[in-house]
Amino acid sequence: MINVSHLTKKYGKFKANDNLSFTVKDGEIAVLAGPNGAGKSTAIKCIAGLLRFDGEIEICGHNNKSMEAKQILGYIPEIPAPFELLTVWEHMEFIARAYKLENWEDKANELVKRMELDNKKNKLGKELSKGMQQKISICCALLISPKAVLFDEPFVGLDPHAIKELKSLLTEMKSQGISIIISTHMLESVDEFWDKVFIMMDGKIEAERERRFVEESGENLEELFFNITEKSVTARK
Amino acid sequence: MKAIFYVVRKAVKNAVLDTFRHPARLILYALIGLSLIYGIIMGFTMNAVDYELSKDIRALYGGYLALLHFISIPIMLKGLSSGTSFFSMSDVNNIFSAPLSPKKILIYGVGRQLLSMLFLVICFSSYGGMVMRVFRLSVSNALLLVGGILMTFILVQMITLVIFCISSGHPKRAEFIKYIIYAIPLYTLTVFGVHMFGYGLTIENLFSSMAQPMLAYSPMIGWVHGFIFGLLNHDTTNIAVYGILLLFMTIVSVLIFLYSKLDYYEDVLQGAENNYIFRDSIRTGTMSEAVFLGSRKINVSNTGIGKGHGANTIFYKHLKEGSRRSRFKFLNISTAVLLGVALVTGIAINQLLSFNPFKNTIIYIGVTIICSYVQFFFSAAGDWVKELGKPYIFLIPEDPVKKLIMASATSIIKPFIDASISYIILAVIVGGAIPDIITSILVYGSFGCVYIAANVLAQRIVGMNGNRGIFITFYMSLIFLLMVPGVFLGVMALTHARMFADISATVMGLPIFFWNISISLLIFLMCRNLLNNVE
Repeated sequence: MINVSHLTKKYGKFKANDNLSFTVKDGEIAVLAGPNGAGKSTAIKCIAGLLRFDGEIEICGHNNKSMEAKQILGYIPEIPAPFELLTVWEHMEFIARAYKLENWEDKANELVKRMELDNKKNKLGKELSKGMQQKISICCALLISPKAVLFDEPFVGLDPHAIKELKSLLTEMKSQGISIIISTHMLESVDEFWDKVFIMMDGKIEAERERRFVEESGENLEELFFNITEKSVTARK
Repeated sequence: MKAIFYVVRKAVKNAVLDTFRHPARLILYALIGLSLIYGIIMGFTMNAVDYELSKDIRALYGGYLALLHFISIPIMLKGLSSGTSFFSMSDVNNIFSAPLSPKKILIYGVGRQLLSMLFLVICFSSYGGMVMRVFRLSVSNALLLVGGILMTFILVQMITLVIFCISSGHPKRAEFIKYIIYAIPLYTLTVFGVHMFGYGLTIENLFSSMAQPMLAYSPMIGWVHGFIFGLLNHDTTNIAVYGILLLFMTIVSVLIFLYSKLDYYEDVLQGAENNYIFRDSIRTGTMSEAVFLGSRKINVSNTGIGKGHGANTIFYKHLKEGSRRSRFKFLNISTAVLLGVALVTGIAINQLLSFNPFKNTIIYIGVTIICSYVQFFFSAAGDWVKELGKPYIFLIPEDPVKKLIMASATSIIKPFIDASISYIILAVIVGGAIPDIITSILVYGSFGCVYIAANVLAQRIVGMNGNRGIFITFYMSLIFLLMVPGVFLGVMALTHARMFADISATVMGLPIFFWNISISLLIFLMCRNLLNNVE
């Protein structure tokens, strides 16, 4: 479970995140949606423990900056940053050793195969395209068998096969009880499996909806998004 | 051309306005300006140092020639780098696609670079006062020297234009021109070296080597040198010969430029993209290794990190990356530079002070001072700094202090290895007491620790996402502050030992070593939370 309570992130006087509070339960996929500059990536980075913030964030009951939380948290950054001089397989080895994983090889092989990197195991990070680098990030994050995963724009740069595999992985993770937060603009790509959506505007959560309520109202995710963001812009004018 | 002038005008105006919107940057510029003015005033007011070296005008000949090489060679080499230094990504995206003549665009690019170098001319000019005092020059002579620097800047830009016109799209020509450019400093060094070593290593020969007429024969750089010193010494032959040569070179360059068919956009594009990533990585402090590696083929036959459990995996990863960067792991260009500097300095002191009873002590102290200074330029982009550009070091569930030490381990070890090689080879050549050699290695290595510690502390205080200019200024000030107490202790120990006629590099070096290691450890402990977040 991911529990965010009164998360505020300031850059000088500017509030990138303004008092965000939400919970993502075990086996739930939450989508952080919002226009550019809404504060989605900042929120994800705060939850990943990469930024300083005010408020509290817990990963399965542990403070997000604790060792316990780090051990079970997977993070896929928006901009992939592989090690230029390590091969694809060495990335797996590095994560396994740094996180003190045991018997990781089978899982690593499976991930690498599903992301179609199995014939590129000995390719260096610098030799890979942006999309493939993104696939390495996904493999690294999932190798640790996380209990909570944060995806920051995961579909950007991926080819159709990788998008299909990632969607399938997300569904599997959901069935395994893993809490997932996805920050994305590509609402149609999460339409099949989202459980909860937080629509952000100017650093705040403008609306929070659960799938069943949206479906009961006859709306879809995209319509909901435009209804809320455009209404909000009009109200501010 | 109107469009280009518009871009330049607006860019300059917005840059000035932007500076006023960032007070810290404004303060930094003001400080630089004040320090330059201070340098000029001090230069005029200080007393000439009463030393043979300062009085001999031949030292100025050599120093000025070295300066002209320092200015010209890197700029000329840039002319071969696909024009990456001339154009930014925004130029490529907006100006290249506009209906403008490629030649006009190239002039704009080179002009932009010339403007950016004006700052260097101002910096060099600040030494004008000091040079006047030391070499007893008149104001007009000092202005002549500054004019020579300015002239070199303009001529070298023109040469760069021609080099670019000739080499763009022709890799073989570029390779050939590169060798010609390398041949210029090689010629100067050969002429200097043959005279210096041929006649014996004495102060007098050092000066006479610097003032040989043959040094002015090298194209462009030597000609400017000959022309300027011809004017300075009222030597009409030199003025005429080198003036005609420079005029001829200018006419030929202009003709080549006018009659060349330019199609350089494709060459510039890739370079400008790489340059953009490189500058962005400097701005954000996230050095991407890919930019440095470029398209270099790397052997990956030996795969696997092999060792590591928890935080120390970072260290073993760095070893693996190091072996891919260089076949010799810890040995790279900095090892070669250090060895070169140590040998040249050591041998020179050995020859110059051959009858001094404290010769060996002075050798090891002198070499350590100069090498430690040189080390600074290689210490800024250590493995741990590169690690900060990626999220993994922050995400790994390990104690931040352990992660920090393990991430810095290769950078800490390397100076000790470099120093061991250099000082042992130096000792074989010039001799020396074993304690002095060991202490010198330890002191050099410990300065490496101070550089890393200062970097860690600067990252902790200024942050990783702040202004890089302010960061670097702060980082350099920290290095100075951290080193001063150790050096003071060393000098005190040496002064004290002198009373008992017991002068050795060990006496001075050990307090410095212990101070450097202690302060570095303290900073590492104080900054243990650095890896808690990326800010």
